[in-house]
Amino acid sequence: MNRTERNIGRMKLGFAAFYLSWVLLALPAGAADDIPYGFDSSGEKIFARFNETPLAAISGIDGRRNLISFYELRQYPGSPPKIPHKVSPSFSGETENCIACHGRGGYDVTQDAYAPVTPHPEKELCYQCHVPRLTDELFVETNWLSVPPPRLGMSQMGGSPTPIPHSLQLRDDCIACHTGPGAVAEIRVEHGTRGNCRQCHVQFIVTEPVLEFTRNK
Amino acid sequence: MAMKIDRRSFVKSAAAASAVATAASLFPGISFAGWKQLEGATGMIRWEKAPCRFCGTGCGVLVGVSGDRAVAVKGDPACSVNKGLCCVKGYHSVQALYGKDRITRAQVRKNGKMVEVPIQEALDIIAAKMKETISKHGKDSVAMYGSGQWSIPDGYVASKLFKGCIGTNNVEANARLCMASAVTGFMTSFGLDEPMGCYEDIDYANVFITWGNNMAEMHPVLFSRMLAQRKRRSDVTIIDFATRSTRTSQAADKSILFNPQTDLAVANAICYEIIRNDWVNWDFVNKHVSFHKGLTNIGYGLEDNFAFQDKGEGIDFEQYKAFLQDYTPEKVEKISGVSARDIKYMASLYGDPTKKVTSFWCMGMNQHTRGTWINNLVYNIHLLVGKISTPGNSPFSLTGQPSACGTVREVGTLTHKLPHGVVMNKEAREMAEKIWDLPAGSIDPKPTYHTVEMFRALDRGDIRFMWIQVTNPMVTMPKLRRYRDGALKEDRFIVVSDVYPTPTTDVADVILPAAMWVEQEGMFGNSERRTQHFDEIIPPPGEAMSDTWQIIEVARRLGYEKQFPWSQEEYIPRIWEEYRRFHDSPKHNMAPYKVLKARSGVQWPFVNGKETRWRYNAEYDPACSNGEDIHFYGKKDNRAWIWARPYEPAAESPDQEYNFWLNTGRVIEHWHTGSMTRRVPVLHNSMPAAYVEINPDDAADMGIVNGEMVRIISRRGEVTMPASINGRGVPPRGMVFVPFFDESYLINEVTLDAFCPISKQPDYKKCAVKLEKA
Amino acid sequence: MPVLAYIASPRSGEKSKLLQQLNAMQHCEAFSADNAEILILVTDTPDTEAEKKLQKQLNRLEALESLSMTFGYNDELQYKGEGDGHED
Repeated sequence: MNRTERNIGRMKLGFAAFYLSWVLLALPAGAADDIPYGFDSSGEKIFARFNETPLAAISGIDGRRNLISFYELRQYPGSPPKIPHKVSPSFSGETENCIACHGRGGYDVTQDAYAPVTPHPEKELCYQCHVPRLTDELFVETNWLSVPPPRLGMSQMGGSPTPIPHSLQLRDDCIACHTGPGAVAEIRVEHGTRGNCRQCHVQFIVTEPVLEFTRNK
Repeated sequence: MAMKIDRRSFVKSAAAASAVATAASLFPGISFAGWKQLEGATGMIRWEKAPCRFCGTGCGVLVGVSGDRAVAVKGDPACSVNKGLCCVKGYHSVQALYGKDRITRAQVRKNGKMVEVPIQEALDIIAAKMKETISKHGKDSVAMYGSGQWSIPDGYVASKLFKGCIGTNNVEANARLCMASAVTGFMTSFGLDEPMGCYEDIDYANVFITWGNNMAEMHPVLFSRMLAQRKRRSDVTIIDFATRSTRTSQAADKSILFNPQTDLAVANAICYEIIRNDWVNWDFVNKHVSFHKGLTNIGYGLEDNFAFQDKGEGIDFEQYKAFLQDYTPEKVEKISGVSARDIKYMASLYGDPTKKVTSFWCMGMNQHTRGTWINNLVYNIHLLVGKISTPGNSPFSLTGQPSACGTVREVGTLTHKLPHGVVMNKEAREMAEKIWDLPAGSIDPKPTYHTVEMFRALDRGDIRFMWIQVTNPMVTMPKLRRYRDGALKEDRFIVVSDVYPTPTTDVADVILPAAMWVEQEGMFGNSERRTQHFDEIIPPPGEAMSDTWQIIEVARRLGYEKQFPWSQEEYIPRIWEEYRRFHDSPKHNMAPYKVLKARSGVQWPFVNGKETRWRYNAEYDPACSNGEDIHFYGKKDNRAWIWARPYEPAAESPDQEYNFWLNTGRVIEHWHTGSMTRRVPVLHNSMPAAYVEINPDDAADMGIVNGEMVRIISRRGEVTMPASINGRGVPPRGMVFVPFFDESYLINEVTLDAFCPISKQPDYKKCAVKLEKA
Repeated sequence: MPVLAYIASPRSGEKSKLLQQLNAMQHCEAFSADNAEILILVTDTPDTEAEKKLQKQLNRLEALESLSMTFGYNDELQYKGEGDGHED
């Protein structure tokens, strides 16, 4: 994963630069100063909003959250992700309302990203498991190593519905993670409207031993 | 370890395909013209249509074939049943063809050991044994036990050989254990078998009520159609009426639990409410319904040679209303556990003239010691309010197996049936003798044994030879130990045609390797009267032979070349065209072979090139002839019959010592006894072993934790298996549930062989057990 | 025998250069999207050593902006279970 991280890093900078320039261009290119304010049902609001909202937000498609950035925040497959964005220093759950964004997702201008939707909103003590990232430096070098995460392409045959490669514990809400603009790009699906996910997708946990059928144990 | 070249190219193709799929989700509308040029791409797949191998929904699939192997599956978008969608079993169905222990050679038991022999030799042995048994013990000492997973030609030649040529009515199929009560329900209420509605009803109904069936796992594609309707429209309600909590309960708008067997009482209470609130559709009832009652206290079939014949008697509406006085919601609440309020709620859904109601049911109502009665009672509800045979208004009896309708019910592979009519009827016998080119009097007018009695006869020695095809009775017979011991007795010759080793092949004297599904040409018929044709898409492995051809080979050795003259190139179309002649009438006409081959399923009656979607409705059904909008032409009085059927308790209810109900059934991953689906890696890994579901409070009382071994004991036997608490389903207090897909846990050693005296279908959902920590 | 597939994003305007470079590399096959600035890359190396070498090579490609893995298959991974797991 390290090799492409650099490329992703470069890509992120590129995007950031792109959007920064867009925003900078947007400011002077707002409504002209010398026109009356608030006529035509405050129509200037439409143009201002259009100028300041990135295209990804308007079109509802954002491929920027991908498997690599997903696993960057996790120590091993299934671990609770770190919080990638700033939270207030006294982050204690009383001052932050995580569910406001992560309960239903949606586009957040301050993050310029779609908020991933939590599969477990009933767990209300978010900071019990999710902590912010205040520094990237290590205290001491570590020998930590884990197993590779479930990979894509686990369909049993070309075109078969992929089995569920991960445990369902705390990850049992398919729609929250696999649909919508906040979903990780590679696992996002367009067929969430079918409703009964486990009709076609059953568990085949890749990080566990594969069982082979034999008669009479 | 080097990968074989062709496998490596296959993996590379799969790799490219997955990248393309991912790209498509990131960049909608993207196209890749260049990817077919990928070096070594095995992208040459041809797609052939077939019905799915598994449940009675009858989804259309496209089997992807590369060379002579099935390599992929797609839903068939041209099939109206599933419109391109399948379920996890369907999507992986072709993998079931390639288990390592596939039976590809015939085997014969010599000195206690199974020895491989050429299949022609095995067929010689079978024919010789049949001749010998018939000459020693008479024609009724040989029997054929087939299946609702038989293709239509399989069942047809079996019936022709045994009933026609040999002249014995010892022909039964496992559909007796699955759909018999549905059949007798249809026959007593309407005079004709099979649903009057079709799956299109799902697109019109406002209310769906599942009566004791876990539709989300058992007919998942149809259930998805219901969910889609509810999502798209604002006026759809799904009610789960069941004895335990399942995925269906989770998905439904309301889950109503009832005590086992009390569905009889609740159905009557709903009718009581409909009458009390004057929701009766009098116009409909006066023109199209008549009222009847039958015998009561009809027994449970537990003794050998149990015989029962119902006596019907006409009654009038006032007598029917008086009968229902015992079934007020308040009285029924006491025995059923369903609140009077919920009963009235359900009744109001049926009674509301603005709502179209579809009732779905399957094993909960059919595997029932009063299965015929409960089928009648749900029809009663729909008949009282006139909600039947119109789009969306549908009492729909779902079929479990892919061709229980097509083969067992329509070809008539049951002891009393012929392809048209019953053996007791002279015209029906004469028609069969004519079409089968047999001398008059060939067919025996007396039915012999239904399935449970047939295995009892095998145990007693009245049957000495049994040929079993496409089913696994040594796992599925209730009160299993008696019937397995019976099959193993001296001087019992068992022939088994199957695709994998099972507990049934374990008791066989001859094992024939069978072609599986699309390794032979054939047809299936699904729940909604849709016949689907499939070609021989891939060759069968080794010496495996289609079940149809196995029977033809034996029939010729028995001297019946005249009745089985067809060549291997064209026997299926010839058989179909001969079979069709039995159904030549607007009430039952089947499409010609050419039409079946071209289309992804054709509904019957197929009249003047059109499918009859709703029967008995003059707008859709050309067989209607009374000038009215509805014509129930199955009965002599041209009406549908409402039967006053009472509540009677189960054969064995929990008591002081055996204090739990034992309920059995399936899970979505596995088909029946798992002989096919457990060989599919993803299905086996998702559900590797059976378990006993225990209610969490019951488990806590007994100190049982999840995974702990528990002994389940009944008066018949015991099984020790791991407990499952808050697993796939949650039974209520006082009930346990065991799925029957795992041959290491033969739960049928614990069940009881009580059956509905009218249909002879056993009740797998109710017997009494006690639990002990093992 | 690792087989992997990626979605490859070229640097701005360098799609055809990247396509050429990738197809010239050993163990690599690439093809281009008709209507977007991305390529699909399928790699097929004889063993994990060669795979590691290939990864380093890919990293050094000038025309490559980013690589997103979508499929990974490695025959050499041993699964433990009843019996020997995979055939072959």
